[in-house]
Amino acid sequence: MQSFKWRPLLIASLLAVLLLQIGCGSNNGGKEASSSPSSSATNSGNASKEKVTLKFWDFHTEAEQKFFEDLVAEYNQSQDRVTIEYSTSNQQDYTTTKLPTAFASGDGPDIYMISPGDFMKFAKSGLMADLSPYFPSGSKEDFLPAALDAVTVDGKIMALPYELELLGLYYNEEMLKNANVEVPKTWDELLAAARKLTTDKVAGLVLPPDKGPYLNFIWYPFLWQQGGNVLSADGSQSTFDTPEVAKALDFYGSFFREKLAPSKLQFGPWEIDNIGSKTAAMQVLGTWAINRAEENFADVPIKVAPLPLPDGGKAATDAGGWKFAVNGKSKHVEEAAKFVMWAFADDPARALKWCTEIKFAYSPRQSVVDAGKEIYSKGMRQVFTEQIYSSAIPEPTYPSEIVDIVGDAMQYVMFGKMDGAAAAKEADGKIKSFLSK
Amino acid sequence: MVPKRPSARTLREWGTAYAFLFPNIIGLFVFVFMPIVYALYVSLYDWNALSPKVFVGLDNYKDLLGDKGWWRSVGKTITFSVIYVPLLFVSSLLSAVLIHALRGRVSGLARTMFLMPFAITSVNSAIIAMYLLDPRRGLINWILSGFGVPSQDFLGSTSQAMFCVVVVLLWINVGYNMIIFLSAIKEIPKDYYEAAHMDGAKRGQTFFRITFPLIKETNTFILIVTTIGSFQVFDQIMVMTKGGPAGATEVSVLYIFKHAFELLNMGYSSAMAFVLFLIIFVLSLFQLKLFSRDEER
Repeated sequence: MQSFKWRPLLIASLLAVLLLQIGCGSNNGGKEASSSPSSSATNSGNASKEKVTLKFWDFHTEAEQKFFEDLVAEYNQSQDRVTIEYSTSNQQDYTTTKLPTAFASGDGPDIYMISPGDFMKFAKSGLMADLSPYFPSGSKEDFLPAALDAVTVDGKIMALPYELELLGLYYNEEMLKNANVEVPKTWDELLAAARKLTTDKVAGLVLPPDKGPYLNFIWYPFLWQQGGNVLSADGSQSTFDTPEVAKALDFYGSFFREKLAPSKLQFGPWEIDNIGSKTAAMQVLGTWAINRAEENFADVPIKVAPLPLPDGGKAATDAGGWKFAVNGKSKHVEEAAKFVMWAFADDPARALKWCTEIKFAYSPRQSVVDAGKEIYSKGMRQVFTEQIYSSAIPEPTYPSEIVDIVGDAMQYVMFGKMDGAAAAKEADGKIKSFLSK
Repeated sequence: MVPKRPSARTLREWGTAYAFLFPNIIGLFVFVFMPIVYALYVSLYDWNALSPKVFVGLDNYKDLLGDKGWWRSVGKTITFSVIYVPLLFVSSLLSAVLIHALRGRVSGLARTMFLMPFAITSVNSAIIAMYLLDPRRGLINWILSGFGVPSQDFLGSTSQAMFCVVVVLLWINVGYNMIIFLSAIKEIPKDYYEAAHMDGAKRGQTFFRITFPLIKETNTFILIVTTIGSFQVFDQIMVMTKGGPAGATEVSVLYIFKHAFELLNMGYSSAMAFVLFLIIFVLSLFQLKLFSRDEER
C-alpha cells in the first residue's frame, strides 16, 4: 500500500533528475568546448607536446561554409600543434547575439569574423589581438595600404582584411534600351533614368530602404563623391552638418519620396534577384552579385557601370568586406594568428580561390589580384577592375551609435520628415554629444 | 480556530504536489526570476557586454528620462496598444459568438480557419502578411486595383505601417482568443437562452444581458493578457518593419533590442527593460483592481 502511494512521488523525482541532467548535460557540453581554447590543451598522443584546440566562428553558408571547412581541415592536417574547430551560424544571430553573449560570458571564440560596423566596439574592448607581428615577411607590403589603415587602431593592425567588395550600378540593359535611356553617368541622369524606368510593375532603382549598417554602406559613396565625410580624418570631430551631407541625403531621399525606389522589397536590397526577377531596372550593389547574376539570371541582360557622379564630383566607391580577427583574450593568440595568416596572408592561391571561385570580390593583396588577372577581366568584372577598383575607399569602422544616428538622418529624409539640411544639423548635434562622452 | 496538524495523508499529497511542481519552480527561478534580478543589477552599470562593467548607480535611469527616442517608443507602444487591444477583444468575441451559432462541420471549418494564422510560427505568419501587403506584387493591392484604388505602400509608409502591423497581429491572434471566448460561452447553460427566448428577448438583448455578463472573468483575463502582450510585441514587427520606416513602428521592446544587441548598451537597455516591466506591472494591477471592483458591485 505504502509503496503504491509513493509511486507518483518517485516518478516525479525521477523526472526532475532527468530534466536536470538534460539541462546540465548540455551545459557541460558548452563548458567543455568553451574551455578548450583557453586552458584545456588536450594530449595529442604525443606525451611531450600539448595540442591546442582553437575555436573559429563565422556565419558562412553553403559553398562559403564548405570553403572554410576545407580550409580548416587542410590546416589541421598540415601540422600537429593546433586543432581548429570551425562552427558557423546564421548571420543575424552571429552578429546580434552569438558573438556578444559568448564574449560576455568569457566563452568567446579564439578566431572570428567581424564586420566593419562592429569592428571598433570589439577592438576597443580588447577582443582583438594585434596581428602586426604575425605577418609573414614581406606580406604586409602586398596589402593595399588603405585596407590595412581601415583596421589599424593606435598603430596596431587589429584584423586581417581578406576581401574587398566594391559597389557599382547594376542595370538591365534591355529595359534601358526599350525606354531609350542611356546608362546614367551623373546624378541628374540617374534620377531622370529612374523616373523613366519606373512603372507600376518595375522599380526604377533599388536602394536599401530599411535602417541598418547596409543602408549607410550604400549611401557613403554619394557623400564621398563630393568630398564630404561623417567624421574628420582622425575620427574626433563631426563633419556632418555640411552642404555635402545635406546634398547626399536629399539625393538619396529623392528616390524614395518620388517613389522611384520601393520602400518595401520582396528580395533583400543586397540581392541581384531584384533585377534578375525583372522587378527592377537598376540597383546599387556590390561585386558579390556577379556570380549569382551569371549563374541564376543568365537570360537577363545584366550589366554594371560605375556609380554616377554629381557635378564636379570625384569617383568613389565603398569597399566593404568582413575581416578575420583573433580574440585578444585568448590564451593562444600566437597559434590563432598563425592560422589566420596561413589562410589569407600567405600562399595567394587560397585567397584567390576565395575571391574568384567561391565568391567574387577583390583581394586586398596586389599579388592575388595579379595572379587572377584573367578572371578579374571577365564580363562585368572588367568594369570593376578597370573603372571602379581605383576609386575604392574601405568601409568606415564607425561606432554603432554613429551608424545609428546617420541611419536616422537618412530615414527622416527618405520618408519626408525633414530635408537634408535639417536632418544633417540634427544628426550633427547627436554625433557631437556622442563623441563628447 | 487553530488548524490541526495536517494528517499524514495530507502531507503525502503535498509532497507529491511539490515533487511535480519542483521542476517547474526551478525553471521559473532560473529562467524568469534570476534574469529579472540580474537585469536590475546590470541596469546600475555601464556595460557593453565585451568590457568589464562600470558601476554608474542610477545614471542609466536618469539618461532614460531625457531620451526622446525611448519616450517616442513608449508612445508608439501605447498607440499600438490602444488600437490593438479593443479591436482584438471585440473581433475575438464577435467571431466566438458567430461561430457558436454555427452548427456541424461549418463550425469546425471556421474555427480551423481562424486559428490557422496562430497555429503556424508567428514569424511565418508575419512573412505571409508581408507578401500579401507588398506594394508591387501583393494580393491586397491587386484587389484594391480592381476597385480603381492606386497601389499603397502599406508597411513601407510612415502613415500606414502601424495600422498594418495592428491588422496583421489581429489576423494572427484573433483565432486563439476566440477559442477562449468560445469555451467560456459554451459553459453558459442553454436554459438561460431558452427562457430568454420564451420571454421574447431579441438576439442583441440575450448577448448583452446573458452572454456578456456571464463570461466576465474571461473578459478580464483576455483584456489583461492582451494588454500585457501588446506592450511586449516584438517578433512580428521585427520581421515586418524592424521598427521602420523612419521609426514609425519602433515600439519599446524594439528600442530595447536595438540598444541591447545592436549598440551593445546592456546596462542602459536593462534599465529600459526594467522600466517597461514596471509600466506593465502597474497597468496590470490597475486593470485587475478596476475589474475586481466591477465584480464587487
